[in-house]
Amino acid sequence: MPSLREIERDLRLALLGGDDAPARAAVRGDGLGPGARLAIYRHHVVTTLTAALQATFPVVCRLVDERFFAYAADRYIQVEPPAGPCLFEYGAGFADFLAEFPPCRSVPYLADVARLEWAMQRALHAPDAPPLPIRTIQGVAPELAASLTLTLDPSMSLLRSRYPIDRIWRANRPDVPEPPLVDLAAGEAWLEVRRHGDDVIVRALDPAAFTFRRALAGGADLAAATGEALAADPTFDLGPALVALFDDGLPIALSRTPSTPGDDPCHSQP
Amino acid sequence: MITGGGATGAGLVGIGLRAPHTAEIIAARPPVGWLEVHTENYLGGGPAPRTLDRIRREHALSLHGVGLSLGSAEGLDRAHLARVADLARRVEPVLVSEHLSWSIAGGAYLNHLLPLPYTEESLVLVAGHVTEAQEALGRPLLVENPSSYLRFRHSPIPEPDFLAELARRTGCSLLCDVNNVFVSCRNFDRDPAAYLDGLPASAIGEIHLAGHARNEADGRIVLVDDHGSPVSDEVWTLYARALGRFGPRPTLIEWDTDIPALSVLLGEARRAEAAIARSVAAGGPRALAA
Repeated sequence: MPSLREIERDLRLALLGGDDAPARAAVRGDGLGPGARLAIYRHHVVTTLTAALQATFPVVCRLVDERFFAYAADRYIQVEPPAGPCLFEYGAGFADFLAEFPPCRSVPYLADVARLEWAMQRALHAPDAPPLPIRTIQGVAPELAASLTLTLDPSMSLLRSRYPIDRIWRANRPDVPEPPLVDLAAGEAWLEVRRHGDDVIVRALDPAAFTFRRALAGGADLAAATGEALAADPTFDLGPALVALFDDGLPIALSRTPSTPGDDPCHSQP
Repeated sequence: MITGGGATGAGLVGIGLRAPHTAEIIAARPPVGWLEVHTENYLGGGPAPRTLDRIRREHALSLHGVGLSLGSAEGLDRAHLARVADLARRVEPVLVSEHLSWSIAGGAYLNHLLPLPYTEESLVLVAGHVTEAQEALGRPLLVENPSSYLRFRHSPIPEPDFLAELARRTGCSLLCDVNNVFVSCRNFDRDPAAYLDGLPASAIGEIHLAGHARNEADGRIVLVDDHGSPVSDEVWTLYARALGRFGPRPTLIEWDTDIPALSVLLGEARRAEAAIARSVAAGGPRALAA
């Protein structure tokens, strides 16, 4: 007699499209056959997880049509089933999956559109984090400011694509009846996605602001982030960039670079 | 506590809160005893949990979970349990419920309330998990009978006995989903009335009602618990029997697919209230004392 752990392992295999023989051996037919009974469960697993992915990636679904989306989702569910029960968190690896999925090769921008939709989903459900007021940084002595690191709003993502994915996304939203043509050569996209109030905002940044914010989000201190932004654009100006950052409500905590030992006069929480 | 006028059933009947109705419920504050939400939809930040903060100012809330996977042999996901407990602290629900099922194996969440073999091994495991969850939540859990489409070869304990013993060992309450009782019993040629009679009336803390679909598989009718239609006449009859046996209990109308206008759900709720009123009038002390 199999243990509960073995039964669950065998059902998992059957429900994710693997061999259902071990699970069938544990199941009564009850007039229908164990395989048909397992198929009822498998159908539910695949259709509801596909629906969850469709809800998170509506524009990807529209770009490839529902039938192809269901086919891709079925394969994705097999290789990367949800790691937890909150389905709004399911799909983190879908863009990478699409990028490697051979039938998607004819739609080269698809994976990047999926990355944009995932960033929007993440932003919508990210933890709430009250922004720091700008005076927090105005009180820091100039000689200490260079080694400050800023923790940014966890809802923010920065996405760069060689395709105009923001235009593609806007043109193909489910509520647009006749998607206009988008020129794929319209230029690359440098996008910031974040939540503001209850809304998710997608907007284009100039390369310097994008580079500055990406460096800060990656843990660079102000001096290092400024250096990266200047490399992207020699006219980058730290003062206005910082004001804009605080105006956008992005910094949620300040600290000194860990390499500076001693007390931390600027550590601050809102 | 959900308290209702026993004579009219008003206040005892709630509906499942679904996204298409949220704005209307906030704006119109319809007369409904309470609202139940799916816990897992509210465990992030942002607008979703803020909506619950608003709704609970006007309505009693129940948290109905689908993700604790009380029957997982690999143990509870403690991080998930902690998130559920955090939400419960935030929105102070009147009821917190889960299912007699499992959904997680090998770290994968299968998004289905999967059946357990009813053995002493399963009973010990689920009882341990219910106790762990109740300690994390600081309150008793309601555990719901699942709808089933398969049975295991080795499953010697009848489901009502399993639930009764689970309640006895852990102090949990039971959520009797009358539609699930009907669906499972029909799928295995069992008598749903006998199933209800096997449940301990004193442990029943909540009742669910929903619609089901009739599907055909290999020439055989299989009832599927899809929550996509009105409660069937047969389930209303079974509900009346459940009320006669358990007494008036907080009752929920669930509707999850092909969601209709809010007024349709409210109409189903009125019908459940009328059934409670009839049961009280007919059953008198027996119904009230259960």
